[in-house]
Amino acid sequence: MWKDFISLFKKDCQMMIAGKFFLLAVGSLLLYTLFINFGYIKFMKAELYHVYLYDPLGTQPQASNLIYPVISLKELEQALVTDTTSIGIDAGSGAPDIILYYGSEKVDRHRADYARSLLYPDNGYTAKTVGVNTPELKQRKEITCELLFIEIVAVGFLGIASVLFKEKQMGVIRVHAVLPLKKSLFILSKIVIFLSADLIFAALMTVFNIGVADTIHILPAVLVQTAILSLVMALAGFGCTMVLNDFKQFSLAYLVIAVFAATPVFLAANTSIKMAWIGWHPFYQIYMGLKNAYFGTPVTDPVYYICSACGIAALFMVIQIAFRKEMGKEG
Amino acid sequence: MIEVKNLTFSYGKDKQALHGLDFTVGDGEIFGFLGPNGSGKSTTQKILTGILKGHGGKVSLFGKDIATAHTRDFFQKIGVLFEFPYLYSNLSAVDNLKYFSSFYPAEQLRDIEELLEALEFKRDFLRKPVSSYSKGMRQRVSMARVLISNPKLLFLDEPTSGLDPSGAVLFRRMIEEERRKGTTVFLTTHNMLDADLLCDRVAFITNGKIAALDTPKKLKEKNSNQRVKICYLYQDKREEKTIEAQELEAGIPFPHDEIISVHSEEPTLEDMFIQYTGRGLS
Repeated sequence: MWKDFISLFKKDCQMMIAGKFFLLAVGSLLLYTLFINFGYIKFMKAELYHVYLYDPLGTQPQASNLIYPVISLKELEQALVTDTTSIGIDAGSGAPDIILYYGSEKVDRHRADYARSLLYPDNGYTAKTVGVNTPELKQRKEITCELLFIEIVAVGFLGIASVLFKEKQMGVIRVHAVLPLKKSLFILSKIVIFLSADLIFAALMTVFNIGVADTIHILPAVLVQTAILSLVMALAGFGCTMVLNDFKQFSLAYLVIAVFAATPVFLAANTSIKMAWIGWHPFYQIYMGLKNAYFGTPVTDPVYYICSACGIAALFMVIQIAFRKEMGKEG
Repeated sequence: MIEVKNLTFSYGKDKQALHGLDFTVGDGEIFGFLGPNGSGKSTTQKILTGILKGHGGKVSLFGKDIATAHTRDFFQKIGVLFEFPYLYSNLSAVDNLKYFSSFYPAEQLRDIEELLEALEFKRDFLRKPVSSYSKGMRQRVSMARVLISNPKLLFLDEPTSGLDPSGAVLFRRMIEEERRKGTTVFLTTHNMLDADLLCDRVAFITNGKIAALDTPKKLKEKNSNQRVKICYLYQDKREEKTIEAQELEAGIPFPHDEIISVHSEEPTLEDMFIQYTGRGLS
């Protein structure tokens, strides 16, 4: 059996090399790493809001040196027009009044509180912190998790389809029906190769963007979640390829998966949009599992792992039926 | 080698494809399975090769009931040539054959290059990708894939399709060589010349039923009108006459100067095909 598996695995590697799958994966890894290190992190390092103070009577002696003093109300208004996210403090009457160029309810409060805190920096209040991630590390983990999820959902799913559609077109799947080998090995070899590629991709992506020291602690949990997602996507891709006629139909199916399966997950996990049913969405659970793994709090609930294992086993069984049907098709 | 009794098969509730087939194929026999498109040829072959499950009736191969026959050992003993040359187009002929043969025990295998040479495969293309081959070359590699494991039972579907006349002659020679070695051949074809030249017996199948089964010779004789057509010269004029074959026993029964040709009016296998299946070749 091992000899058969190795033959299949070797051939699948040749197919993937010929299809430039590995080249694409390396390209994606490079692109994501460049984006995170030279784009996203720099973009997220936005400067703090500027605070301008008009205090002709000198009633705010404790004001932080982060505050820019202005000498007239006109200059204050000019500063707000030029720097629209800044906050103005008019202390001309002796009491500080907050002036903003524009804003929304939540942001206004946040910015106003920030400006007031700069007027009294030595109020003796220091918040207790419990997290170990610096803001930059937190951002790195968040974006690495998101990109890894996208990569596996999209590239892994489409990758297995591109290899299998070629084999379908060449008709060689039918030849395997009459070869002396266990037919499930054909499926298994493809799943193993995509799983291995995804695990290597996840490890490199984490090392390159989180750093070696932090990766050591979180990698085992990240790889477990990557393996669950990779197996689900590879099996789903395999199944769709067996059922659908060509890559065009497959692309449409992928669009449906992207729109109806992945989009709500991102919206629920990364925005303030609330969806009561999202807890039942399997992708949401896997995404949160991956995110929690990146933040050092991996899922420990056995129900999650039992459900994942059952889902993967069920997909594998359905795919075996679809594969047998494909083998029996006319030329 | 193959024993089929009252074989039935249905695709869904209302789509019965086979209606009780009965036939046997002896060891070392070349058995032709002929029929128009949609007659049930492929379904029968798929049942025999274990691709389709859920048939009715009794089928045994190598002396074992088909339900238990489709083991690894069974697949090691059979070779199946499909109508189209299914190969990995990005791999070369040698790599394709190395891959497909890797599933068989090493002691059972023939030498790849020797086999391709016997099939008159161009040496320059041995290591070039299949995508650069002509249809005939692909068919040769497919045949090599089937023969490489020295199968005891061969299923051949349109083996000479896509081959030029010399290629077709070569393939027929290879199939006859297999028969000499004791290999049993189950041949599915539309090519009546192949069937006539190769098969020990043929079965005509139509609408899922066997309409006739016998040796090609007997089938033709049974339906012969026992007449001969004679073309001759008499007094510098070319003439033609059709007479009963028995009349020839006493010599040519009409005056003539020179006989140009004598043709029997025995039907061809193609005529038989049309007669039994009610359809022409497509």
